Amino acid sequence: MSPDSGAGGGLGDWAGRRMPISARQATDLIKRLPVNRSVANGAGRAGTRALARALPAPLRRPTAPDGVELLPVKSKVGANYDTDWARTYPARAARVLLVEGLIRPVVDLFATPTVKGVDRLADLGEQPVVFAANHHSHIDTPVMLSVIPEPWRHHLFIGAAADYFFGNQVTSTLSALVIGAIPIERTKVTRNSADQAAALIDDGWSMLIFPEGGRSPDGWGQSFRGGAAYLSIRCEVPVVPVHVEGTGRILRKGKNVPRPSPTTVTFGDPIVPGEGEDSRRMAVRIEAAVAQLADEAGSDWWQARRRAAAGDTPSLQGPSTGAWRRTWALGDRRAGRRRPRRSWPEV
Amino acid sequence: MPRPGFVLDVDRSTPPILFHHGEGFRLEKLPAGRSRVIYPAEPHEPLEHPDAAIRDALLNPLGESEPLPALLKPGMKLTIAFDDISLPLPPMKRPDIRQRVIEAVLDLAAAAGVDDVMLIAALALHRRMTEAELRHAVGDRVYDAFAPHGLLVNHDAEDPDNLEYLGTTDQGEEVEINKRAADSDLIVYVNINLVSMDGGWKSTATGLASYRSLRHHHNVRTMQHSRSFMDQHRSELHSSNWRMGKVLKDAGVKVFQIETTMNNNVFGTEGPMSVLQKREWEWNAKDRISFAAMKAGLDRLPQRTRRSAFQSWQAPHAMTSVQAGEVEAVHEVTTANVYAQHLVGVEGQTDILTMGLPYISPYNVNSILNPILVACLGLGYFFNLYRGKPPVREGGVVIMSHPTPWEFHPVHHPSYIDFFEQVLAETTDPIRIEAEFEKGFAEDEWYRHLYRTSHAYHGVHPFYMWYWCAHALQHVGQVIIVGGDVRAVRRLGFKAASTLQDALEMASDTVGPDATITHLHNPPILMADVT
Amino acid sequence: MKALRFERNLPRFAAATVAGRLAGGAGAKVGPLRLRSIDPPHLPGPGWSEIRPRLAGICGSDLSTVDGHSSRYFEPIVSFPFVPGHEVVADLDAPVGSVPAGRVVVEPVLGCVTRSIDPVCDACARGDLGNCERIAFGAIEPGLQTGFCCDTGGGWSTRMVAHASQLHPVPADWSDEAAVMVEPTACAVHGALAAKVAEGDLVVVLGAGALGLLVIAALDRFAPPCTVLAVAKHPVQRDLAREFGADVVVEPGEIARAVRRATGTMALGDGDIVRLAGGADVVIDCVGSDASLAQGLAVVRPKGRITMVGMPGHTRVDLTGLWQREITLAGAYAYGTETIGGERRRTFDLAFELVAAADLGRLVSATYPLARYEDALTHAANAGPRGAVRIAFDLRNEKERNRA
Repeated sequence: MSPDSGAGGGLGDWAGRRMPISARQATDLIKRLPVNRSVANGAGRAGTRALARALPAPLRRPTAPDGVELLPVKSKVGANYDTDWARTYPARAARVLLVEGLIRPVVDLFATPTVKGVDRLADLGEQPVVFAANHHSHIDTPVMLSVIPEPWRHHLFIGAAADYFFGNQVTSTLSALVIGAIPIERTKVTRNSADQAAALIDDGWSMLIFPEGGRSPDGWGQSFRGGAAYLSIRCEVPVVPVHVEGTGRILRKGKNVPRPSPTTVTFGDPIVPGEGEDSRRMAVRIEAAVAQLADEAGSDWWQARRRAAAGDTPSLQGPSTGAWRRTWALGDRRAGRRRPRRSWPEV
Repeated sequence: MPRPGFVLDVDRSTPPILFHHGEGFRLEKLPAGRSRVIYPAEPHEPLEHPDAAIRDALLNPLGESEPLPALLKPGMKLTIAFDDISLPLPPMKRPDIRQRVIEAVLDLAAAAGVDDVMLIAALALHRRMTEAELRHAVGDRVYDAFAPHGLLVNHDAEDPDNLEYLGTTDQGEEVEINKRAADSDLIVYVNINLVSMDGGWKSTATGLASYRSLRHHHNVRTMQHSRSFMDQHRSELHSSNWRMGKVLKDAGVKVFQIETTMNNNVFGTEGPMSVLQKREWEWNAKDRISFAAMKAGLDRLPQRTRRSAFQSWQAPHAMTSVQAGEVEAVHEVTTANVYAQHLVGVEGQTDILTMGLPYISPYNVNSILNPILVACLGLGYFFNLYRGKPPVREGGVVIMSHPTPWEFHPVHHPSYIDFFEQVLAETTDPIRIEAEFEKGFAEDEWYRHLYRTSHAYHGVHPFYMWYWCAHALQHVGQVIIVGGDVRAVRRLGFKAASTLQDALEMASDTVGPDATITHLHNPPILMADVT
Repeated sequence: MKALRFERNLPRFAAATVAGRLAGGAGAKVGPLRLRSIDPPHLPGPGWSEIRPRLAGICGSDLSTVDGHSSRYFEPIVSFPFVPGHEVVADLDAPVGSVPAGRVVVEPVLGCVTRSIDPVCDACARGDLGNCERIAFGAIEPGLQTGFCCDTGGGWSTRMVAHASQLHPVPADWSDEAAVMVEPTACAVHGALAAKVAEGDLVVVLGAGALGLLVIAALDRFAPPCTVLAVAKHPVQRDLAREFGADVVVEPGEIARAVRRATGTMALGDGDIVRLAGGADVVIDCVGSDASLAQGLAVVRPKGRITMVGMPGHTRVDLTGLWQREITLAGAYAYGTETIGGERRRTFDLAFELVAAADLGRLVSATYPLARYEDALTHAANAGPRGAVRIAFDLRNEKERNRA
């Protein structure tokens, strides 16, 4: 397509300068061409700003005059988002309804989770615990919300990545309301987040945390960080290791459309922090426990115990080989044989 | 602080007493001034950390025994035997005690590198357990790990290739047990000691035995000389099993015994069923309303629904102690713990003993309580829950309350049907029954086939039910069943009455007009310590 | 004379069928059976004589006829209108043939001799009167028995006719009740012997009505030593069955179990028995219904024998078992001559013996006059639950009877 072609209002000189086409034409174009998403979003934002400029005086945002010291704008989103309102009675009631009425049926539809090992929690009574699970997909959170038994299910808060889940007002509100999340810095847990979490646990709330920090990029686990261990030691509550299997098939990192697939959630024996144990060592214990649960889900409990006793439990982080061999080895992990999908030729 | 059991002397202000009546209840007023009610102790506190207690017991055994890890070596043959569906009663909520203990044992076995492990449900001549029942007992993890490989099995007492004869006691009692168990380097037996009859050498010598062994102590003479079979030191049943235990020891069978006790929290201390565990004058308004509602609802339901509602009840009773190690040392401590929960001091005997029979016995879990089992539950188990002397005098009357339907579960109890139709129609005398009919039923090919392949009790089992009543039948003068099916009651050789007052009237023929009465307020379980 | 007459009347027949399905014996009220005043039958020829019934029993086949259950099979071999009643003890006023005057019992089968057919058919020559091939031919109208033929009359009236060959004298010391039981006993004796019981067999008798009880008595006296297992629903029947010699008496639902116990065979279907792998050697079905035939097939052993003594009708039954287990299904009808102990004896003679030996007269539980025929038939249809065995009509007090 040469730059000189096209009638008036067509593609003009677009080598880096402002494009002489309307915003609507631009968004249409973006939809049809394979364009970088953030650029597309930027175009959207540019569009809304243009819309805001079109509003009459008191409603539109005032422009700042020169020579005036502007007040520092404190970001109310991200790690600073205040989620206390989400733990008030009406919000909790709404969350119960959402979890039972919406999330559970949808999870049953997409993930049909098989839950194992719940009897290991029988002796815990009603004390708050920290659920530490492996993380493969955004679906992990709704699945966990569906399978964690009473009395913890509706008395739960989740540590969620501050930049992703609390990026703007809308996502912050939804995260706090629907999944009861509190913002946690992704890169380094700040004092604020840690104190907030500890205070909640002391108040009787249980916590769901993914010690890996983020979703697995390639199907294998990442090393467990010390957050769960730290909180368990500080608040003197047990950590329940949980292994979630199969959510990676439903919605892997990078995909947007979920695909139904069966999942298995295995609860492990609660891990109680030892005398004067440090969080790093406990984090290793937790990771080992989840690895044993993965082994148990993949084969059976007796073989998993035997391998654990011999120190042979396969690691969650997979073999230290190149990318394709790691993906290849993933296939061996799945419990049971997958029936090959038969497709008949169309005649 | 749980209150101990006690004996209430009934007077005019005593409210009507709760009688269990199968899948239902009755409130009966006992005559004032000459009745007493024995109430069970309140449930003892369960162990707070059961898994820790189990591990502790395995590492610190009683008697002459090394800790379990020392007994587990790589390359050994390990057999874990556990009590079958007849314990506990009613079935308990998950996780079952057996699941906890077996997982703890297997943890140690895995750490020691033991490969050859087999789990056997030690059911002797009881019926095979179904998959669901096994899963409930040992848990899903253990089931899924062992059953698919055929390493979790029901004991088959009629498999000629899987029985080993180990010798005879000095009184001529043959000892023959499961071959896999006999050939193992170690048998770990996981017990639930619900009552003081359970455990000790009876676990291995009876639970894993065959008919050839069992007939030496499951017979009329032994039962008549067991006064009672709940009291190990005055029970011929136990003496025989202990002699067999000696043969087992001498033959080199090594048993690491794990025994556990439970509290008698059958109906819970909160919830709708807790009213059944409370003393009648302590029922508050909520209790009374819930009892009335429950009774009214039950009366309206059809029998099948009622039965399945009751059979699906899982009791919140929990473990109160766990002991492990050498059989006899462990059993002594366990029995003391069982007595601590069950024994209630009672002074003297009375003319009449009344009892309300519940819906469940060891032999009808998930099944029907047929007339023979009614007799066994009342005259066998409940009657024998005494130490010293029975609470009723010799020649007295036993009155039991149960609908006694003429109904049998055709899959679980096929030989019971024939026993009821053919044998009891002929005679109810246990000695004649044993002499004339036992052999035929024990050797019948069809019953053997059903025992081995279906879920049926062995052909000879109804005889054992009748022998269990032998001591009571010898001791009392008359047995009356209140509210039972008349034809069925007559076939059992007892008398039928429609109300308790009628029954007391009928009893006056045997014990006179102003007879004294003892009522066992059982369940929850109690044991009368009669002086 | 007064008589209960069964007339050819299609609407009434239909009504009887419907009523009979609702309640046993109800066909009597609305059906083709009517109480009439009619002329007594003429003597069809020499050798015939008029007799005056004293007692006439109500048999199961009579009830089926009244209730419209009988099969259309019978149409060519009965002639309308007929007076029912083939179990008859009657007064013979003047001797006929070699039969002296006095009380007689009628042997109802109308064979060649009664029909003046000469030479007689092979069956009659052998003495197997029940198999006579000429029952629709000869000097009298078609009719398999007295009580189904328009020319002979029948027991449910005050006068009827009979051929000398049909009459059996009754001993003077016998009661009328004993005499009226002779004919059903003869059916039972013939059935019991037709079952071909061998020594040591297990024989199951299905049905404990009059026929079943008489079969048990007959087995006890005439069959080789065997174990008899009777199936009886009602207490009176159970007690009588035991008294007549049944070794085991069970209720209808328990027959499979009882046979399994007695034979020690294996069974198919877990504790809930579907059918037996082995079974009884001989089954005698005295009921003749779908259910009884199915039961018989389920409890008889391979190569066993089921003998149907009770009259069936249209039955629906799965005969796969018959084929797979090589079972013999045989019918036994009426009576004639039996081979017993190596010699040939008439069934009626054996019946006389049995009635005397077992005092079978007491099985007549109640008698009714002709006027109360509806009650009589209802009682007969509900004999079991009402504790009765045999119901009979009592003609001795009918006014017409004693007039000259």
